Amino acid sequence: MRLLAGVIEIDGKEKLLIIEDGVARLEPVESQAQREEFGCYQLLKKRELHLRRGSVSGPGVFRFRYGPVTAGVREAGCFNLYTFGEKILHAGIDVSWKHRGIEETMSNKTPQRALALAEAVCSNFAFSHSVAYARAVENALHSNVDMGVQNWRNILLEAERIYNHLHVITKLASAAAQKVLTSHLSSLFEEALRLNEILTGSRYLMGINQVGGFHHLPSLENMQHAINGYSLIAKRFEQLYVHSVNNANYMDRLHAAGTITADQAIAMGLSGPSLRACGVKDDLNTTISHLIQLPVITQNEGDALARMEVRAEEIMNSCEYIIDHLKISDAWNFNTDEATKSIRENGEGCGIANSPSGAVAYYVVLQDGIIAHARIFTPSYVGMHAAAFSLDEYIFTDFPFIFDSFGVHFSDAAR
Amino acid sequence: MLKWWPLFGIRRHLTEKKAYTSPIRLQSLYGKLFQRSLFIYILDVGSSNALNFEISALESPQYNIHRFGIYFTDSPRHADVLLILGRPTELMLAPMNETLNQMPEPYYVITIDDSMDDLPMSPYPEMRHHVAQLKGIPSPSELLGLLLELIKNKRIAS
Repeated sequence: MRLLAGVIEIDGKEKLLIIEDGVARLEPVESQAQREEFGCYQLLKKRELHLRRGSVSGPGVFRFRYGPVTAGVREAGCFNLYTFGEKILHAGIDVSWKHRGIEETMSNKTPQRALALAEAVCSNFAFSHSVAYARAVENALHSNVDMGVQNWRNILLEAERIYNHLHVITKLASAAAQKVLTSHLSSLFEEALRLNEILTGSRYLMGINQVGGFHHLPSLENMQHAINGYSLIAKRFEQLYVHSVNNANYMDRLHAAGTITADQAIAMGLSGPSLRACGVKDDLNTTISHLIQLPVITQNEGDALARMEVRAEEIMNSCEYIIDHLKISDAWNFNTDEATKSIRENGEGCGIANSPSGAVAYYVVLQDGIIAHARIFTPSYVGMHAAAFSLDEYIFTDFPFIFDSFGVHFSDAAR
Repeated sequence: MLKWWPLFGIRRHLTEKKAYTSPIRLQSLYGKLFQRSLFIYILDVGSSNALNFEISALESPQYNIHRFGIYFTDSPRHADVLLILGRPTELMLAPMNETLNQMPEPYYVITIDDSMDDLPMSPYPEMRHHVAQLKGIPSPSELLGLLLELIKNKRIAS
């Protein structure tokens, strides 16, 4: 399938960043038909920080402003909810409070310095951002990256998926007042962060990936430790998951909350678990060659429950993937001291990575080995728009289940 | 037959018995005032989200912060400590100052700056009782060590 990941407009020239069969490529815009092919074209072109502006009027209708300082949503962001007291009539999200101007700051930086900025967009997606950015630069400079590096990137992308999915499901359980489930999931979340540190030295997998290579690899002892750790996480999570889906109170809160159809999800440019929960198979797992193919998990309902179920099954698959690959990883020999040398210093390129919440895409232009332009397209940007859309016509009690089930973050959307 | 939820995993001991320490030594302004409990209000003003995740990790059963009398509160008016995450974006300066105005005396302010120096973030304004300025992403155990140092909690060693 063809997904529009981003619209790039530099010096009056427009290009589309398309993902087709798992491969990212740039298409110059030559006709209106190209724009009309994608429902999310305007959204991705405007890149607004005030998502779903608009208002509703009527008897007793008022604007309820939720944020940017509220304990309910920890990140600095703001919801504009139009309501007459119970039902949400229109929801808009303002992510501008978290805007840090990262794209602009990347200009005139060396590729390695800009990589650290890519990791700072949203630290819990740091590795996905780092991989998508590195792939874009490698693509622009025509660098061939060692297969061992690619395999390690895939392993750590799955490690990132596990702790993020655990975090999302913990929040959903907490919102449904499932105290026992929340505590157990929260302990698994902390365990997953500790395994990240064992594998890479960073709880958020930062500072290990580089353009064309990898800074260092874990010792065999640490790899064994990680294998045991992920086996335990998979086993404990499966028990909890089976137990939780038999709990009617919990299921009732998630079922039929924030339902979107497959057509709506595609039109809004969703990818990742939010799209797969509508029964659509995306090609993000085929972004690069895997030694053992990851199954694509889908559900059909398109509600908060389906999104949770997709994430839950992905946790168990990702644990299995990491264990299988770590067992054979000592055969991947490459020099971690030297990144692959690029064969040129000028060029443009794009890269994507399969982040826990969908496709992260980067577009870079390099001149004389320095970043001239960078554009970042995040899953949280389209995800925030979809979350706001899904909140319409639901009641305030559904709010945390709908918003949290999309796994989106203000820092990721605001850049 | 599934177990009743309250019995699920009841024999699993998740809380760790460790001495949590912080390299930062604090001079407690209020002596023993917050020794029995500490209520913290979290305010994100521009962090890259790792700090929010570390706060979530700090709430995990491994750390079990409630045994030390440490709680997160939903309003700055109920808080003893304002924990500011990240360096402020320009837009967040005003909400941050307003939150500071809502803090009841006596209180502490702790800031954690995880922003890269390249980014155009605002510097922290002058704040009263600003007892600690951390840089980078502290782990939950370091953060817990800092909070325990602040309240000089005598139950740490036991």
